[in-house]
Amino acid sequence: MIARSIIKELTKIAGKDHVLSDLKDLIVYSYDATMRQELPDAIVLPQSTAEVSAIMKVAHREKIPVVPRGAGTNLSGGTIPVKRGIILEISRMNRILEINTADRRAVVEPGVVNLDLQNALAPLGYFYPPDPASQKTSTMGGNIGENAGGPLCLRYGVTSKYVFGMEVVLADGEVINIGDYVEDFPAYDLRGLFIGSEGMLGVATKLILHIIPKPEASQTMLAIFDHLEDCGQAVSDIIGAGIVPGAMELLDQNMCWAIEQGVKAGYPTDAAGILLIEVAGLADTLEKQVQEISQFCQKNKVREVRIAQTTAERDAIWAGRRGAFGSVARICPPYIICDGTVPRDKLPAALHKVGELSKQYKVLIVNVAHAGDGNLHPLILFDVNNPEEEEAARKAGADILDACIAMGGTITGEHGIGLEKMEAMRHMFDQADMAAMLKVKYVFDPDDIFNPGKMFPPEVKAALPEKEGAAQ
Amino acid sequence: MDNTTSPEKRAFYQKLGEIAGTENVLAGEKATAPYIVDGITPQAITCPASTEQVADIIKAANKSRTTLVPWGSGSRQQIGPCLEAADTVLCLKNMNQVVELDASNYTVQVQAGMVNAELQKQLAEKSLFFPLDPLYLETSTIGGEIAANANGPRRIMYGTVRDLVLGVTVVTPTGDIVHTGGKTMKNVAGIDLCRMYIGSWGTLGVIAEAVLRLFPLPEVSTGLYITFPSADDAFRMVGQLLNSPLTPSAIELVDSVAGHKMAKAIGSGLNDSEVLLIINSEGVKDDVARHRKDIASLAQANRAKGTIALEDEKASRAWKLYRDIHQTMLAGSPPAFQGKASVPVSKLGDMLQQVKKISATQGVEIGMTAQCGSGILYTYLVDDTDKLGRITSELKQAAASLGGFFLIESAPLAFRKETDILPLRDDYQLMRRLKTEFDPKNILNPGRLAGGLY
Repeated sequence: MIARSIIKELTKIAGKDHVLSDLKDLIVYSYDATMRQELPDAIVLPQSTAEVSAIMKVAHREKIPVVPRGAGTNLSGGTIPVKRGIILEISRMNRILEINTADRRAVVEPGVVNLDLQNALAPLGYFYPPDPASQKTSTMGGNIGENAGGPLCLRYGVTSKYVFGMEVVLADGEVINIGDYVEDFPAYDLRGLFIGSEGMLGVATKLILHIIPKPEASQTMLAIFDHLEDCGQAVSDIIGAGIVPGAMELLDQNMCWAIEQGVKAGYPTDAAGILLIEVAGLADTLEKQVQEISQFCQKNKVREVRIAQTTAERDAIWAGRRGAFGSVARICPPYIICDGTVPRDKLPAALHKVGELSKQYKVLIVNVAHAGDGNLHPLILFDVNNPEEEEAARKAGADILDACIAMGGTITGEHGIGLEKMEAMRHMFDQADMAAMLKVKYVFDPDDIFNPGKMFPPEVKAALPEKEGAAQ
Repeated sequence: MDNTTSPEKRAFYQKLGEIAGTENVLAGEKATAPYIVDGITPQAITCPASTEQVADIIKAANKSRTTLVPWGSGSRQQIGPCLEAADTVLCLKNMNQVVELDASNYTVQVQAGMVNAELQKQLAEKSLFFPLDPLYLETSTIGGEIAANANGPRRIMYGTVRDLVLGVTVVTPTGDIVHTGGKTMKNVAGIDLCRMYIGSWGTLGVIAEAVLRLFPLPEVSTGLYITFPSADDAFRMVGQLLNSPLTPSAIELVDSVAGHKMAKAIGSGLNDSEVLLIINSEGVKDDVARHRKDIASLAQANRAKGTIALEDEKASRAWKLYRDIHQTMLAGSPPAFQGKASVPVSKLGDMLQQVKKISATQGVEIGMTAQCGSGILYTYLVDDTDKLGRITSELKQAAASLGGFFLIESAPLAFRKETDILPLRDDYQLMRRLKTEFDPKNILNPGRLAGGLY
């Protein structure tokens, strides 16, 4: 617990309405989109860089852990305050400061919601490509903390490609600028280190983003398959032919069924798997792309290829995909989301392995995948009142990640390590790899103030030379 | 080895032979001459054959506090602040093999000493290519290009080094072998050390291997060589092009000082105030045809004087002429000094005008080329070493006033020694701590970047 006097000091900085410490507030901020729950000591909602800096000075002086938080939609336990302390919620810093299409840049505060930025850019004919499924609520600051992906990243790349610079407040309250509005400043790529660092290095207070013109034309296809392996093979064939659609998402039968119970997307519930394919580019060549993709689907025994004829049809198709996790949660709230990623051509093999593990552990697994990138999202369902089933689900999840590693892949493509995959880190990296990462952590944050107890298994940290920490 | 060499260092040189084999350790005036860097003659050159050998060498260097200069082909050793010391060159030219080409995943794992052009040759056999096209690619190594964050014109379509390198294996300054990234398109496991090594100039570790993102060779490629009566016309057109859904693979501009010979060679001309805009497009046939048509009409609407359209072989020949401008200028007599400005994309035209103004008031010729989609302007200062200091500081001021920066990338040693290449910024202390944490004895490329830091 932090002292009353500290709460008072924080109140002086952020204002009475922006420091919360009642139990009901602490409970609201005790969880994210994963299943664990821990209470913070206080929540502070600053409105400016100066306030963030002042808050960090207090936290640094008192060695209080600080967890930066956007909308709390992350899928790895990243914002759960496992060592208590302060939740630094950046949602009030939500101004779009500048949009300059001629420079292809937007400058925003970190609390700007991804979709709000898209809506501001759309009338100008521009967009910011990373589009996590949570984009309706997730913040740009959070997107950067997790290096968020999304369906469109197949064609355009992930968050890291679209962040050129940022203003960052360090653990001791110092404000620095990393990266730049312009390209190629010769320096260590601190922004590269910061992006995807899961709130463990600092808190970003201003972001310089790269924006691009919208494609001239696009079309949405829905391909329906009777065998999941065919579905995966079609993806491999399309990518193998050098075609890069805007997005290519795979959903299996259970997932389609779950979505149709919630969002009415018009997915078939009797097919083994479907592909949602967004084709984008110049109007002249779009039709040819659609044809080529259709041919690869035919070759893999597709049952039917539908092409959205109206904006409404197209929105429905995408609403289904974006509502995937939520739809499953309505039916069976406790589930484990895997984020394993494999080399692009290994997708069919990985899906097959997931099916095997589902049988082996007798747990229901529902699949959705950013198929073109080899990024799987198997959701492993279990009964929260059945400890044996929960244990089986966890084991299946761990085995899926190990299978991804064995295929030359990784344990997380876009959701982050957080609390959930700390153990799996050891399967992916050896001691030297993690020691190097921890060096970076301690250069930015020598006292382990920012988001302590995440990402690295405790034994790995213990094996390092002694460091004084806030969260001992 | 001179007489001042300490016993520890003598032991180090002894050890070098044991690790890499005596035939892979060179010493003596003749052998070390090609490796003189910033006026310093290294005592030995060692060419390890494996990542493990690199690690052993670095461990031994650490013990004896021997400074090491990681070296690919040496094409960029003249860029940046001068080294403070360079005892031994750690040359990766023998580590030049493809480790794994995974064509169906569009990735390749290579040893860092692989020369870019050689890699492209091998990839072309599988109808693939790696879109990184910096200067010197005929000789420079993949590891060196990553360490120097060396990008080329194609960046506008395919991204920069940080978008094309999926992972690196490095040997840290204390001799640990560290793996970063991997061979998947998406990967957020742990802190992103791969990005840290890109552009770190061999100061935080030696890149030993890299996993690269590949693309299928385009069906067709085309180049449009458009002459404009003035730079203003050209930049107006560039603004319209960048605001369109077209996705050219290069938008390069060259002025008459740098480009008049090249313009003549492709059957065009370039008078004093004229500029040549080169726009490449590549991909599937219909796509490229549409680019060609739209770009030609944009050119016409912006007072273009003439357009030459070239395809495939002819396009690559003309492109080579353009690419050779850089080396021709640097190898001229007297040699040109190369500078680089980076400004917001919409301010590139203003920067070009500023350079012209400075050139006129100082009475010197300055040639220019530009990467118009990225806000990058290269300047070639043709004469007059005496005025270099004043011109450089004026160019720095001009770029800064436009929200960017200017730096000298190649210049006489004496000039580089006494000039601050870049101002330090508010992230300097953090970078300083990063360097100290990773390289406590400061043995890797000491002094290579701004502030004696990198």
